[in-house]
Amino acid sequence: MWILIISELAVFSAGLLALLAVRLTDPAGFAEAQSHLHRLGAAVNTVVLVTSGYLAAEAARLAGPRPARARLLLGLAASLGAVFLWVKASEYADLFAQGIGTETHAFYTFSYLLTGFHAAHVLAGMILLLGVSWRPTPRAAGVAAAFWHMVDLVWVLLVPVVYLL
Amino acid sequence: MSLRLTWGALVAMSLLTAALVAAGPGRPWLVAGVLLLAGLKSRLILRSYLELRQSPSWARGFDLVLAMLLLAFAALALAG
Repeated sequence: MWILIISELAVFSAGLLALLAVRLTDPAGFAEAQSHLHRLGAAVNTVVLVTSGYLAAEAARLAGPRPARARLLLGLAASLGAVFLWVKASEYADLFAQGIGTETHAFYTFSYLLTGFHAAHVLAGMILLLGVSWRPTPRAAGVAAAFWHMVDLVWVLLVPVVYLL
Repeated sequence: MSLRLTWGALVAMSLLTAALVAAGPGRPWLVAGVLLLAGLKSRLILRSYLELRQSPSWARGFDLVLAMLLLAFAALALAG
């Protein structure tokens, strides 16, 4: 799992560094494009993900002694993943309604790619959490929670670069 | 640090980030503040949620890589 975590962090870090490097060619254009994103939605999603991470961590801790409680917590963690995706989808819908797509500006190529790839990881994590919640052994819950924390960690690093700087 | 305390600290730092952005400081302060908070949150997730505190040598390695990454973010963000 740690190899996967390190690999994913490396991929997202490279993408974020590339965004900031390309931004140097058109700082004003990137800033204007960035102003169309939903900063409030990103802040809400940060709280949603770190809360979900807490529930997943508690589930991993309780999977041995209290599997029923762990099952509930894993389900709740996955539910917050659905909230995250709903907020993200509403942002995409708003951007599409403004006619903003991946080709509109180089910034959006990066932002759609990075946030979309991250959203795909959120979906994968939800499937993993729900799958493990069926029969939450300590090992399975620990692996699923570790993947979920990686998703959380990537978001914490992605938000400043894509939404704030 | 307990999981609940970690969660509280992460939420508090997220709110602090939002407050910092809303306050609209100069770009150098915004870049430094936002990335510092992101670094602290990342460190907390790694050490508490991902339990790297149980492996201090790995935790120090991640700290080093994270610091280098955030410094690169800051340098690129301020160069533009």
